[in-house]
Amino acid sequence: MLLALLMCYAGFTALCLSTDRHHGELLHSKPSPVRRLTLRTAGGLLLGLSTGPATVASGLAQGLVEWCAVLMLSALLLVLLLPYRPRLALILAGVGLLASPVAAFALF
Amino acid sequence: MKEGFRQAMAWLHTWAGLIFGWLLFAIFLTGTLAYFKDEITHWMQPEVQAYPLDDARSLAAAQTYLQQQAPNAARWFITLPDSRDPGLSVMWQDKVDPGKRGNFIQKVLNPVTSQVVEARESRGGEFFYRFHFQLQMPYPWGRWLSTIAAMVMFVALITGLITHKKIFKDFFTFRPRKGQRSWLDGHNAVGVLVLPFHLMITYSSLVIFMSMVMPAPIVASYGDDSRGFFNEVFPNTHNATALGQPGKLLPLLPMYQQAREQWGGGHVGRLVVNNPGDVNASVNVVRSGADRVAHDFGSSVSFNGTTGEVLRVSGEQSLPAAIGGSFYGLHMGHFAGPVLRWLYFICGLAGTAMIGTGLVIWLGKRQLKHAKTGVMPFELRLVEVLNIASMCGLMIAIAVFFWANRLLPVNFAERSDWEVQAFFIAWGLSVLHAVLRRGRQGWVEQLSFAALLFVAIPLLNALTTSQHLGVSLLSGDWAMAGFDLTCLASGLFLTWAAWKMQHRTAPQPKAQGVRALTLKQEAN
Repeated sequence: MLLALLMCYAGFTALCLSTDRHHGELLHSKPSPVRRLTLRTAGGLLLGLSTGPATVASGLAQGLVEWCAVLMLSALLLVLLLPYRPRLALILAGVGLLASPVAAFALF
Repeated sequence: MKEGFRQAMAWLHTWAGLIFGWLLFAIFLTGTLAYFKDEITHWMQPEVQAYPLDDARSLAAAQTYLQQQAPNAARWFITLPDSRDPGLSVMWQDKVDPGKRGNFIQKVLNPVTSQVVEARESRGGEFFYRFHFQLQMPYPWGRWLSTIAAMVMFVALITGLITHKKIFKDFFTFRPRKGQRSWLDGHNAVGVLVLPFHLMITYSSLVIFMSMVMPAPIVASYGDDSRGFFNEVFPNTHNATALGQPGKLLPLLPMYQQAREQWGGGHVGRLVVNNPGDVNASVNVVRSGADRVAHDFGSSVSFNGTTGEVLRVSGEQSLPAAIGGSFYGLHMGHFAGPVLRWLYFICGLAGTAMIGTGLVIWLGKRQLKHAKTGVMPFELRLVEVLNIASMCGLMIAIAVFFWANRLLPVNFAERSDWEVQAFFIAWGLSVLHAVLRRGRQGWVEQLSFAALLFVAIPLLNALTTSQHLGVSLLSGDWAMAGFDLTCLASGLFLTWAAWKMQHRTAPQPKAQGVRALTLKQEAN
């Protein structure tokens, strides 16, 4: 469940950064069209691919339930962090991405 | 046409949400607590101690006890201890004339000594579980009311989605400290982000009561024989009848092991022994619902009690049964381990928060018009009183329920009933208090009182039992420690809420008025 959580959180952060408003708030600049597209694709891919580790770890049925739970709560966490601790929200996504190979290693 | 449709949906969302919001808040909060039903029961019956799990020992203890106490019962039920519920629970039904139902007697045993544990009488977490769909009303009215509430919830969810124009644009948006704006942001955020849970929980609650809500398909396929439907959905174990000759029951452990082998290592939920003292005794080993997401009501292996021969192994579920069972399983979350259980709990709290914020928004919008004069019309005052009592009052009632569990003497007559009465008395008093106090003061006082009650629960536990946090944390009794810590955290949250309410900046009528106008346009 950990790897799926890290991927979902990073994925939502990427999707969040692909919007003008949040990119401006977090990085104080307007994203270029290329960057916006990259972020959006990366975010979508991360969210989609996170079903993999979830189902591998706990089987199809249980894995999908866990994935849904992690998907919802990573988004909720991000949205709650954004107004209060925007830097922490970004740092968490970065740390999550860095830690995911370790989590993947533990899983496979 | 398009705009008109959206406006109509907004109207429906507003009024359906208001009328059923108070009830739904209570249903969601108690249902959320029911995810930790066993843990709450463990806290409320601290006499039942946790031992390292050993099914062989527990099973032998239960069989020894029942053989001594109820050798001629009609039926035995044995529920083994598990990681969530440490009690070895045995129940038996007296044998009476055919056609009558004998009384059920239930005891909790110590799995090591096979002695009865004299635990205090308490409904425990079962109270919240029952309340969340029966509402403490006589059968079947409570079920009907909660099912109607579930349908209204479903309507409110869908109309809310239609009303909310900018789902993707505002997906990550939450702007705190902006009055009404923040409430609406929060309402949208918990609504949209946790939407899969809301839809699942609401729809599955309707599926659970489908035979009550939508009997037409059953009548169409089974005609007058509605019994036939239930026999197929809940495969009745067609157990052999007693022959009237005494027989000797074999040890249950080999049957338990054989059943587990049959399920590829699956877990046993409970064992039912029919006619234990008869030569024609039979043993049904029922599979635990915690094994799989899709719940299977009839998954069991039956044995002949005196020869040990396998009588029947239940087959695979049919597709409709598997779909129905999946919704049932998803709603109950029996399969969830500790982490997933906490995630379920958080989702439930998010649902509760969505309903609560919705109620606050309804009132907040309308109050602004009367902010200048300071006089509120009767209907707004009524909503305010109900808001305070349904949210803060319920929290106080829950805390009082726990307090009553610790403060009522252990041998008090009808003890568990008095715990429940304390819950409703506290709730009733909170309505009275909300009527007597003006709006803001009512909120602050009730929130502070609830905060005080919750924060003090770990202390109360330490003073009245020998299982305070120091002991439970060291011994690894996570249910006990988790309960205390969760109460402490809830108390701190309520303190923060009370503080926020007290120090909220006074509304500035003019600026608020402008904002309310834009809000109204956005909401529509």
